[in-house]
Amino acid sequence: MAKYITKRILVTIPVLLGMILLIFFMLNVVPGDPVTVMMKEHLKEDVVANLRRSMHLDDPFFIRYLRYVWDAIRGDLGVSWKLSRPVTGLIATAFPYTLKLALSAALFSWIMGIPVGIVSAVRKNSLIDHLSMGLSLFGVSMPVFWVALILQNTFKGTLPVSGVQTWKGYILPTIVLGWSSAGRIARLTRSNLLEVLREDYIRTARSKGLSRLKVITRHALKNALIPVITVMAIQISSLLSGAVITESVFSIPGVGSLAVSAIKNRDMPLLQGTVIFTAVLIIAGNLVADVLYSIIDPRIRVE
Amino acid sequence: MDNILEIKNLITSFASDGRKERAIAVNGVDLAIPRGKTVGLVGESGCGKSVTSLSVTGLLAENGRVESGEALFQGRDLLRLSEKELRAIRGNDISMIFQEPMTSLNPVIPVGVQVAEAARLHEGLDKATAKARTVEIMRKVGIPEPERRYGQYPHQLSGGLRQRVMIAMGMLLKPDLLIADEPTTALDVSIEAQILRLMRDLQRENGTAILMITHNLGVVAEICDEVYVMYAGEVVERADVFTLFKSCAHPYTRGLMGALPRMTPKGQRLYNIRGTVPNLWAMPVGCRFAPRCEFAAERCHGEKPPLLDLGGGHLCRCFAPRGLEDEHHG
Ligand SMILES: Nc1ncnc2c1ncn2[C@@H]1O[C@H](COP(=O)(O)OP(=O)(O)OP(=O)(O)O)[C@@H](O)[C@H]1O
Ligand SMILES: [Mg+2]
Repeated sequence: MAKYITKRILVTIPVLLGMILLIFFMLNVVPGDPVTVMMKEHLKEDVVANLRRSMHLDDPFFIRYLRYVWDAIRGDLGVSWKLSRPVTGLIATAFPYTLKLALSAALFSWIMGIPVGIVSAVRKNSLIDHLSMGLSLFGVSMPVFWVALILQNTFKGTLPVSGVQTWKGYILPTIVLGWSSAGRIARLTRSNLLEVLREDYIRTARSKGLSRLKVITRHALKNALIPVITVMAIQISSLLSGAVITESVFSIPGVGSLAVSAIKNRDMPLLQGTVIFTAVLIIAGNLVADVLYSIIDPRIRVE
Repeated sequence: MDNILEIKNLITSFASDGRKERAIAVNGVDLAIPRGKTVGLVGESGCGKSVTSLSVTGLLAENGRVESGEALFQGRDLLRLSEKELRAIRGNDISMIFQEPMTSLNPVIPVGVQVAEAARLHEGLDKATAKARTVEIMRKVGIPEPERRYGQYPHQLSGGLRQRVMIAMGMLLKPDLLIADEPTTALDVSIEAQILRLMRDLQRENGTAILMITHNLGVVAEICDEVYVMYAGEVVERADVFTLFKSCAHPYTRGLMGALPRMTPKGQRLYNIRGTVPNLWAMPVGCRFAPRCEFAAERCHGEKPPLLDLGGGHLCRCFAPRGLEDEHHG
């Protein structure tokens, strides 16, 4: 078990390096010299050259990449061109907002999605099944900003629609961000459970005289939820990265808002920092999902 | 005679996608199992053996339905019982061993826990007592190191061991009737013999009646007292095991006899009967076996033969039944 996890973590390292390389490359071929961005083109040539040298902008690409990785490992993601503050610090201030939003959205999607999925499977083709599957499909297919606008209009006056001065400010963003995940989880739970209920071992369980409820809770649910749990863990990371639009619409000062402002200001270190930070979260989420899966599923555990 | 189970005129159908009428998979089966005896149910794949047993225990797939018939068990008609009443019987008075040892055990629950489950449910045993009893039955069915195996998962066990786990599960509560659906298919011949011996021992010990569903006439010869031969959803012949092997009367049974496993390489299911089982949607109007029968006359194609008694309870659904010994005389 420990061996499996160690192996999984070691495999992640080259993935991380490759990913940083890719992001670094993409952002560095984008035109826009940082010095001219910062100084608004009012500079003498020798000053520019000095600045470029001090920022190591003339070094070969690969050297700059290695230096960036080395700095990143020590927690230094460079300095924001626009705000002149360390990117790491900016992200550290913004991340708690994003994390709170993503976690509450994840929680919302599990608390809604799993029971709804189970009830839909057990009462297949009933009114409640059709209704909840319709709502799920709605959540999965509607654009986030549109759902956000509708909810903002509907709850204007009863709930805060901008900012997160109190916890109530998180309610609408949580629903907006979590709805599609909830829908996906409900649909996945339902289809997995229906599939599992057709398995031979369910008939075996019934042949022992177990009640329908016990057959579902003891024999079907664990098998049906194993894939769902994996998806749930991956979802946390994609919720973290997917919060960009929700954060902007509801004016939440999270990592997403930070990235948006970086794009607006062509603030390369900040953009690079937020993108790489988010990508690391996604990779970590996948790692956690894999480990969780191996803990839950005895078939993987022994390998 | 005292029968533990008496199935009368059982008809079972399935709904299928895109069709209005339902497919009749079991068409008027009568079958009786004497107390403490072993009755074989044989026939080619798809003839309705499993569906017959699942109809009786109320475990048909969602699209299946019993249309009519009776299944008298201890004076009660199983087909008319509520789900709750049936549940009290399942696993307690009637146990089942299913066809697929690979898929019939829950992959995420330790096998011992799965065996013990019925004991905890029906006899209200606490965990420790149920475990002790499970370990004991696991040892009895020849599972080595039962204490260790108890906590293992199905994928950690070989096919033979899984099959034994299924048998332990079926035998644990000393049921009055054990329905064993191909309990030895996945096993090699020596383990098969072992398992059959085991079932016979347990039967002798507990007085359990067994419905043995199988393709394999070798298994029938080994363990059965009586045999029903099914073809295309109907019983075509019934006899005690000696009569069947000495003078079976239906051309279909004789075809099966020609394919005794000792004559074919292991694992193959060869029958020297030409053609294939008819489609559920295109049953012949007359004798269902007529299109494949080398003795079929004109009458066989237009008229359905009744199940005739040839004497001594030897039943045969054929207009011209004959014994094996006739063979050489034409
Ligand atoms: N759930 C189902 N839906 C539709 N048809 C079914 C279903 N279950 C069984 N059947 C059909 O009923 C017929 C009898 O099937 P059954 O499983 O009883 O055969 P069997 O004699 O047990 O064969 P085998 O030796 O392969 O197990 C087959 O034609 C099969 O296709
Ligand atoms: Mg079968």
